[in-house]
Amino acid sequence: MTTTASALGVRRQRLSRVVRLSIRLLTAHPLRTTLGISGLAIGVAAVTIMVAVGAGAEARVLRRIRAMGTDLVVVTAPPAPVIAGRQRQIETVTSLRVTDAVALAQDAVHARAVAPGVSRTMTVRHEGLNTTAAVVGTTVTGTRIRNLEVASGRMFDETEDRERRRIAVIGPVVARNLFGSDDPVGLAMRIDRVPFQVIGVLRPRGTDPGGTDLDNEVVIPLETAMRRVLNVPYIHAIYLQARGSNELDALEREVRAILDERHGQRSGIATPFVIRNQSVALRTERGATRALGRMTVGVASLAVLVGGVGVLSIMLMSVQERVREIGLRRAVGARRDDIRLQFLAESSLLAVAGAVAGGMVGVAGAAIAAMVGPWDLVIEWRAPALAILFSTVLGLAAGILPAHRAASLEPIEALRG
Amino acid sequence: MGIVIEVEELVKAYRKGTVVTEVLRGVSFDVRQGEFVAIMGRSGSGKSTLLNVLGFLDRPDGGRYRLLGEALTSSDDDALSDARSRKIGFVFQQFHLLDRASALDNVMLPLVYAEVDAGGAERARSLLEAVGLGNRADHLPGEMSGGEQQRVAIARALINNPVLVLADEPTGNLDEGSASDILDIFRRLSGEGRTIVLVTHDPLVAARADRVLYLDGGRLVAGRPGTVGIASAATGDATPPTAHPTA
Repeated sequence: MTTTASALGVRRQRLSRVVRLSIRLLTAHPLRTTLGISGLAIGVAAVTIMVAVGAGAEARVLRRIRAMGTDLVVVTAPPAPVIAGRQRQIETVTSLRVTDAVALAQDAVHARAVAPGVSRTMTVRHEGLNTTAAVVGTTVTGTRIRNLEVASGRMFDETEDRERRRIAVIGPVVARNLFGSDDPVGLAMRIDRVPFQVIGVLRPRGTDPGGTDLDNEVVIPLETAMRRVLNVPYIHAIYLQARGSNELDALEREVRAILDERHGQRSGIATPFVIRNQSVALRTERGATRALGRMTVGVASLAVLVGGVGVLSIMLMSVQERVREIGLRRAVGARRDDIRLQFLAESSLLAVAGAVAGGMVGVAGAAIAAMVGPWDLVIEWRAPALAILFSTVLGLAAGILPAHRAASLEPIEALRG
Repeated sequence: MGIVIEVEELVKAYRKGTVVTEVLRGVSFDVRQGEFVAIMGRSGSGKSTLLNVLGFLDRPDGGRYRLLGEALTSSDDDALSDARSRKIGFVFQQFHLLDRASALDNVMLPLVYAEVDAGGAERARSLLEAVGLGNRADHLPGEMSGGEQQRVAIARALINNPVLVLADEPTGNLDEGSASDILDIFRRLSGEGRTIVLVTHDPLVAARADRVLYLDGGRLVAGRPGTVGIASAATGDATPPTAHPTA
């Protein structure tokens, strides 16, 4: 019992001595060590950066989709069909009405909130300047569903909507185009020819996944838009917010059924409206970024593998170069296992050092990439952790053959070199 | 003084394909503790093989070898490694120091594989002191002369306090002065009770030993074969005593 315990103690002591020795030997050959680890370091750095960039790009896309609203289902009136090549006066189907929105609000159990909306690209003016912007009319609920928040000034309220007040909340791009660096809140502007007062500026939202600039928007109360600006009895869209992300598909089916019943019965065909469900957009976008991400990570993983081959070749070289040293160690009492252990320790130390260095470079690189590139900074710690683990195993594996060769050397032959 | 080495009818042959070369053909001798023995012989006489067998670097094919009464030659590889670690100190012609390690680290190298290394650094320092290199502990081998390097190697051979020090042409790469210093150290060690077996070509080196064993054709012969030097030249041996060797 005591002999095994002490034998184990001796073994452990020997192991720690051999590992310490390996560290000293590695630091004594800085160039070779650096070369040996650089391949792995580059591979791990690449994996870390690629995973971070992929996650960052996905986060950016998700943020953009969410910027349009949370758990959103949108019903839009499609463009009016072109008949016999003649451009119609009215751009869209005119059968979508505020009453549809009211019906949906009453009957769609998966909907948390419902809001009608109109929109048209129009010319907006301030003093001598003019620009075109998407003019959106919606209710207060609609601004909430679409996550519209003001950066300065305020949003309109329900009373102002009912009273058809000519007040506008403008996007930051419109603000810059019309007012330059002036604070537009309280200033006058015209939408087409109708005078408005700016009461707020929206927080920047960027572009939607389709490339539309969400910041080049003027938001006005729905009633004002329908009666005073567009003069239309119909609406262009209905925004619905689901009760949760997992109810989006159910809500879409429900909306389709309700609209079919309200419109389909009369015309005898299915709902002519386009119903878009945010989860579909999320799935599509996620799928696209993930597929791309997987490919780049795959390529980067190949780099790690190549780094492993680098460690293998450095270790083989090292054995060849140190035949006499191995002979000497055997002569002064090293067992074959000691020699094997030494080379395994060296190759795994190399691998761990390379991987850790690569992981640090990768995290720094990901941070820099996020600063210069169009994506968010998302460090996926699992990626460097996995890459480091993988590299260690790889380094150990790369050490097996060289270690075996070193251990098989006969001391007399080895001493002769 | 007790007997350290007992060798009886030692036989060793090398096979290369179907060709068998008998290197040792029945060698017998004893060495007492504290004795300084030189083994001489021309190239191919089997003296290095004999030294390797004595140092457990090689196994004999027949006969018996006991070190302090213990027969180990048929033990497994690990047991032989441990025997080298505990009982033997080697000194080589080419010194075999690690270039990147200081003198002190070189002396301490065998401790990596020893059972105890407590107090190793102090022991290594005092050994360097004993070979006259107390102030060069931190120097790399490249910064030392051949004689100094060999003295580091001797200190290394002594770190585990071995019963037996084996030296294979220890002065073969050294100038006369350095060689003499090395032999002085061996003499002193022998005087302190350390057993030393040394292989050499050089009659002047052998002359410093207590006893000389002459090997010829794998057998010990009585007295010195008359024409060692000439025979060496005749067999194309490129290792005259004072020149630099090719091995």
